[in-house]
Amino acid sequence: MNTDDPRNLRLGDQARLAFDDAPERFRDGHASEQFSGSSGVLFEQAMAQTRMAICLCDPNHEDLPIVFANRAFRALTGYSEEEIIGNNCRFLQGPDTDPEPIARIRDAIVNEQVVVVELLNYRKNGTSFWNALHLGPIYNDQGELIYFFGSQWDVSGVRAARAEERHAREMARELSHRMKNMFAVISSIVNVTGRMRGIRSEADEINARIQALGRAYETTLDEASVGSIDAGQAISAVLGPYSADTSRLVMHGDNPRVPFGIVSIIGLVLHELAANAAKYGAWAGETGKVEVDWSIDTPSETLLITWQESGGAPVDAPAITDGVGSAIVNRMLQTCSGTIERRWELGGLHATLRIPVGKS
Amino acid sequence: MADPVNIMVLEDELMILMDLEFAAEDRGCTVRSATTVEEAMALLDDDTARIDVAVLDVTLSPQSTCFPVARQLDLRGIPYILHSGDLDRHNERIRELDAVLIAKPAHSDDVIDRALSLLDQSQNEADQANRQAAE
Repeated sequence: MNTDDPRNLRLGDQARLAFDDAPERFRDGHASEQFSGSSGVLFEQAMAQTRMAICLCDPNHEDLPIVFANRAFRALTGYSEEEIIGNNCRFLQGPDTDPEPIARIRDAIVNEQVVVVELLNYRKNGTSFWNALHLGPIYNDQGELIYFFGSQWDVSGVRAARAEERHAREMARELSHRMKNMFAVISSIVNVTGRMRGIRSEADEINARIQALGRAYETTLDEASVGSIDAGQAISAVLGPYSADTSRLVMHGDNPRVPFGIVSIIGLVLHELAANAAKYGAWAGETGKVEVDWSIDTPSETLLITWQESGGAPVDAPAITDGVGSAIVNRMLQTCSGTIERRWELGGLHATLRIPVGKS
Repeated sequence: MADPVNIMVLEDELMILMDLEFAAEDRGCTVRSATTVEEAMALLDDDTARIDVAVLDVTLSPQSTCFPVARQLDLRGIPYILHSGDLDRHNERIRELDAVLIAKPAHSDDVIDRALSLLDQSQNEADQANRQAAE
């Protein structure tokens, strides 16, 4: 029976694999070496049954010929034992093999060191594969160098996955850049139009909302494929521009994952609260501050945000609650079945927001 | 009255460029605009332009960035700010430049104000250096 027939190489079919007689022939030809007794049997079985391609090369012969190659080596490369034995390993190299790992292999051989390199190798049929080659010296009991072993593993799939991951990261970055650019262009359109129409304060108000939304979205892009976002990052990003003086904005909260759809609610609602604080509330004066806390209330699957202003001037509550910003907040929360409770304290607004997030 | 500030704006996105031009004009600046590295370099070599300060968009096309212009400005001692939506990609090179950075999207008024205050600052430093040299 042809033991190299791939049909006989089914995974787990070890009874058939035991028919690889290459170790036996090797032992017959190298009677003086140490493969005797129980360790000899183990060696033979391990060589025959492992799916790791393994070869031994003889450094005491001209040009380091291969003196043993197990079946997995033959299966990986497509060469027969007759074509392998007696040749230097370089027959696996081809036109696109990088000389750099080859030089490292040569150094390791000269210095009798262990080395692991990845290089492009070629099968008998001309197809290439990425070979993770692990190479090292083997000494006998007298400490004399008798072989170099080489174990080969086809890592083409691993490399492809790595390349794909890199590509996905680059795409996410490109997407992020384009989106920021798009927000910047939109923002400029609003500005230029507002200026030409003589409605600059309206344009500024629209722009502030667009930019808050942009900041909230920005944080989501690196993990766009995950489908959920980090609520803590989004909140920090929206409020970031207000925290030039860090003592006047105190944020507490971890990084709960929430569904992507929540991002525009977080962006716009927190922007309105911040804009009001800057215009009428704790940030309107010199000393007031805002504390923002957030967490997930697990039983109700709700993102809970508390907004507490202190140290501000007395507030004209009706002026705020009747404004456009408050209308946006109320309508958005109503639409997503969320709530906001506002309490007007002496030093500013205390608000509690609940935004349903479902299972994320 | 003092001469108007000559500000160079390098930006390939035309709406953003127009927005920055308006904001600069509102502040009494003379704006010289460029949409490519070549145009910006030509402005720097133009003796009539006499650029005092610049606002540079970092990524000008998939193949081009403002870095050659930034290096020229450094050599000539002209202050500039970087205006970029692409901080991640150019992070390390941007840090090398050691320049003021404004992330896009930002309000055009803020961008121009930052550029003008940078110009003030560098003029003050230059005056101080001159005074010290004179003493």
